[in-house]
Amino acid sequence: MKSEEDLRAQFDAELRVAGLELSGEDRERLFVMWADHLPHRQALRDAAARLEEEPTFLEKPTTSGASS
Amino acid sequence: MSADELCDLDIKGVGQAIQRRDVSSVEATEAYLRRIERYDGVLRAYITITAERALAQARAADEELAAGHRRSPLHGVPLGLKDLIAVAGTPMTAGSQVLAGHVPERDAFVAERLAAAGAVLLGKLSMHEFAFGRPIPDGPLATGRNPWDLSRVPAGSSSGSAVAVAAGLCAGALGSDTGGSIRGPASFCGIVGLKPTYGLVSRRGVVPMCWSLDHVGPMTRTVWDTAVVLQAIAGHDPEDASTSTARPPSYTRSLEDGVRGLRLGLPRRYYLDWPGLHEDVRRAAEAAFGELERQGARIEDVDAPTLDLAPAIWSPFLAEMYEYHAPTARERPRDYHDMTRPRLYMGALFTAQDLLHAQRLRARLAREVADILRRVDALIFPGQAEPATRFADVKYTELIGPSIRYTLPWNLLGLPAICVPCGFSRGGLPVAIQVVGRPFDEPTVLRVARAYERATEWHTRRPEPAGWVLS
Repeated sequence: MKSEEDLRAQFDAELRVAGLELSGEDRERLFVMWADHLPHRQALRDAAARLEEEPTFLEKPTTSGASS
Repeated sequence: MSADELCDLDIKGVGQAIQRRDVSSVEATEAYLRRIERYDGVLRAYITITAERALAQARAADEELAAGHRRSPLHGVPLGLKDLIAVAGTPMTAGSQVLAGHVPERDAFVAERLAAAGAVLLGKLSMHEFAFGRPIPDGPLATGRNPWDLSRVPAGSSSGSAVAVAAGLCAGALGSDTGGSIRGPASFCGIVGLKPTYGLVSRRGVVPMCWSLDHVGPMTRTVWDTAVVLQAIAGHDPEDASTSTARPPSYTRSLEDGVRGLRLGLPRRYYLDWPGLHEDVRRAAEAAFGELERQGARIEDVDAPTLDLAPAIWSPFLAEMYEYHAPTARERPRDYHDMTRPRLYMGALFTAQDLLHAQRLRARLAREVADILRRVDALIFPGQAEPATRFADVKYTELIGPSIRYTLPWNLLGLPAICVPCGFSRGGLPVAIQVVGRPFDEPTVLRVARAYERATEWHTRRPEPAGWVLS
């Protein structure tokens, strides 16, 4: 569990990388939202993909898949 | 038939009344316009009312009918469009000051199709800013109040579409859905909402949220209504490369075939056993599943382990949203609502690696669900985690709420998903079940929804206009 100080340092670094220069209220609201969402992002980053899992989606179906 | 009785009808009822000449399209349009005038100051479903255009379309519809020509079941029927769907010559805001003064020069594909089907456009419906803002009860771009309880949100982002349909301020509407923006409002407002298969309905002329997750679909009072609106808007658009070239089947032909012999998969672990599921929703959904079993469907538990990651997989796609808005957000950030800007900036904080990793896991989820849908004909589960929430309880610093787990996986997979009313909470708020099917298998999704609907009377209940008064 990171301290708020560490979280804010990470947040500031990410804003710099993204090129976002935000004012007081916007910055604070975004920090709260970003911190709230971190567990989701971490879950994504922690989920290992197998080598053969390519970022291809399902093939675009061109015919009806209807069973009826 | 009184004007209010007319506005209580569904698309089928209004269309048949016009066809029988019980009422003209002009009279029907005037009835809706009067009802909008009377109630929309409180409900805030409309951003722009296109009365002159509507009456001109209605007159044309009446003249055609008098000449023996009925274009479709939508002929002369007054509808509304979410205000991110372009209509030539009509202001379009997408719920934002950013687009103030913007007047499209060309109809969206779906607007063209509805006009060609003979529908009448009553106006443009309110929505969450650019489909990702938060609910706003007041102000020039208010997002609408839930007609079942004005202190509660109608959900979003297709909020005005759901409010207008539920309150009888139009006979049906179109919305858009990137993570649940058709199905959430449909569930909260007690109407039917369909997110079609990705690629079935063109998004040309529709302001995007995330290109690879956006869908346009019907929001109506009944499953039949949804089927006929879908029939009008589905099909290939050479100007939207994501659309399928396959000819859409009839969406009404198998609607009454029932569910006997169908196999339905229930993702029990992820949806029914989730502790965040409201008890009233669980009870109503289980009763609905029991009704489908009683009619002869076989329900079996299914599971896709990667569903647990669906919200995490979905979020990096907000980079698509940021890419669309970045130039405007840099030049005119104050034109976005204060509560929208942080959500917009979140799209800038995912890395390219996050997005590509999400794509790989999305493919895994797609394979898991495809395996399930080889064994069962459709999936069933609750429409939302809870009934409509109070404006006062909206968490403005939350990027994605817990309920979104019920809807966003199906945007990731592009599968057809419909919400249909399945009862009311103890507090008198609508709740819904959801049916998800194979790609382009809207006929089965609609058939299951209709089988449930015809055995119940939830879709016939209407919110009470006497309650549409602000204290």
